Amino acid sequence: MKNVYVDNNATTAIAPEVLAVMQPYLTSDYFNPSSMYDAARSSAEAIESARRTVARCLGDIDPDQIIFTGSATESNNAALFGTVQANPKRGHVITTTIEHPSVLEIGKELERRGQEVTFLSVDRNGELVLDDYVRALRSDTLVVSIMMANNETGVCYPVAELARIAKETDAEIVVHTDATQALGKLPVDLQDDLQHVDLLSFSGHKIHAPKGVGCLFVRRGTRWRPFMLGGHQEKGRRAGTENVPYIVGLAKACELAIAGVPDEQGRVRNLRDRLQKALIERIPAVEVNGKEAAVRLPNTLNLAFHGIEGEAILFELSRHGICASSGSACTSGTLDPSHVLKAMQVPFTAIHGSVRISLSRYNNQEDIERIIEVLPDIIARLRKLSPYWNDERNCLEI
Amino acid sequence: MPWNYSDKVLKLFMDAVKGETGTHMGELENPDGFGEHGSIVCGDTLRFTFRVERHPTDPTRDIITQARYLTFGCTSAIAASEALCILLEEQGKTPIEALQVSNQDLIDFLDGLPEQKIHCSVMGAEALQKAVADWASKRGVDLAELLPELAHGDEDEGRTVCNCFSVTEPYLRRKIKELGLQSIAEITNALKAGGGCTVCHHAPGGLQDLLDEIWGVKPVGQVEVAAPHTGEQLSPYRLGQQIETAIEAVVRPLLQDEDGDIELVDIKGHKIYCRLIGAANQSDAADQTFKLLVEQQLKDQVDDRLQVIAV
Ligand SMILES: Cc1ncc(COP(=O)(O)O)c(C=O)c1O
Repeated sequence: MKNVYVDNNATTAIAPEVLAVMQPYLTSDYFNPSSMYDAARSSAEAIESARRTVARCLGDIDPDQIIFTGSATESNNAALFGTVQANPKRGHVITTTIEHPSVLEIGKELERRGQEVTFLSVDRNGELVLDDYVRALRSDTLVVSIMMANNETGVCYPVAELARIAKETDAEIVVHTDATQALGKLPVDLQDDLQHVDLLSFSGHKIHAPKGVGCLFVRRGTRWRPFMLGGHQEKGRRAGTENVPYIVGLAKACELAIAGVPDEQGRVRNLRDRLQKALIERIPAVEVNGKEAAVRLPNTLNLAFHGIEGEAILFELSRHGICASSGSACTSGTLDPSHVLKAMQVPFTAIHGSVRISLSRYNNQEDIERIIEVLPDIIARLRKLSPYWNDERNCLEI
Repeated sequence: MPWNYSDKVLKLFMDAVKGETGTHMGELENPDGFGEHGSIVCGDTLRFTFRVERHPTDPTRDIITQARYLTFGCTSAIAASEALCILLEEQGKTPIEALQVSNQDLIDFLDGLPEQKIHCSVMGAEALQKAVADWASKRGVDLAELLPELAHGDEDEGRTVCNCFSVTEPYLRRKIKELGLQSIAEITNALKAGGGCTVCHHAPGGLQDLLDEIWGVKPVGQVEVAAPHTGEQLSPYRLGQQIETAIEAVVRPLLQDEDGDIELVDIKGHKIYCRLIGAANQSDAADQTFKLLVEQQLKDQVDDRLQVIAV
């Protein structure tokens, strides 16, 4: 049985085009780009060429502002700790309760180190309340970090507007955004609507490059200090011998991602919408988390089924060759259900029964039909086992 | 994390989901014993019922003949429920003998459970105990007299230690001793308590305090104190008043003439955050013109350092 891979917000398959451009740097061109001999020249040039490509993809910006890192997690750490270090006089940070842990946990750590951190909450649609954000801005606000798109629900945040409001309030506020889930699905233009964003993070493995490579954009003039010390690489802004093949792969993946936005917004969105509609028609008592949000990623479908537990659903899906994920406590490694769904106040009867389906350019109609074929039956069977489901009346019963 | 369940867990779960004959999903009508443990808020619940063959004269010699469950929970919770029913039906025990079935017996029957899933087996043992207590009251058996160590009253009553999973102090005390739990991590794996916000770990009367009290004090680290919150910077009251007056008297009527409106969101120093509504929201350029118009009016009326920020 062929696997149906619909967990693309977790990671993606490496694109064959990406693998192809990486190959020489995994084999013959293995040199350290810092070395002086001629043979190393192509490695050094490959990195600079990759930097130009990524810069072009993010709105034709000056390539000097692109720093290659080891992951989006590293980029987020570098962005936030680097900003705090460079601005010791300010003591207030604004972020949200629905960030990826690689921002959320830094927020909590900054709090422990004496910063005051405002964690903005979201409403039932998963959206921020703009007025809360405006009121949270302060004269000692140092950095605002708000993601472009949420990995669990796909809900998107108006980062361009939030950044503008921050800068109009005080040009010295540093604005960071985690664009890991947005790149390739939404336009990302740092000269146009995102002109007020100072720092932007993303990762290779969400856009069909390998795991273990990421990128941090640092706008020229931003008060920021390097986080990784110990070498002159990346102009001293990220020490450590460059991962040449992965950086080359990341650049190719960026190109494909930007070119793929129309496919995501068109074909992939249609697949997602068809899936959403068909599942709602076939399965009673299901929440579509983030459905009402003004903007939602076109590839993401976050469902919460009342009265059953997500891990059991994933397990059954997996037996049918379908790879998805869940925000249920039993899959998170902690005992709490997803902090994002909790922040959205998903009903307590459904919060443990969430399933996230996230598509990519490699999914097709056949994959969707397969899910439609098996998921309703899985849900019905698990509900038969549940004390909270009345099978005769086919409804939740607490 | 990929699943690392034993083959036994997987088989029991799959048989249950497929509704194979010989599985125990369901709820007996008018059961001789009924017990439920967990809640939908916590993420798992086991509703357990059994039937006995009644002894004509001595209820303590009733034999369990049928056991059924309904479970809201993960793969291992469903497998542990199956295991419980199989163990009871196979062994032909009296309800009082059934109380000897411990969570460890369930784990052994399942060929082990991952550490973080131990609570699934505890849930089975707890639901069983409650069902036996229910049977005892229906059959007029005085459990407290027969098994005084089991009389733990109504544990839902005591002080709640873990709010995330509604775990009470009496329950925690009993379980820490019964299962020999030595650390907060062990408590969380077995009982879920402390697995949410973690505030109860080192709070006064929290999990560490209970452990220290039960097992003797071990030195614990300094409890962290949250940094004091400094107050919000308030904009001067008078300036705010004047701005509001100017908006009401001049700006709003002006905008309403253009089928628009204004909503004041916040004032910080000389910065005025407002939402410009209606005809204005047609294009970026129109928005910008509208904003400049409002700003100029407020500068003229109140203070020329004022700046409008559209939100
Ligand atoms: C929104 C978001 N930010 C950051 C990350 C972390 O990326 P990486 O795995 O490259 O560290 C992820 C992926 O899990 C993500 O979805």
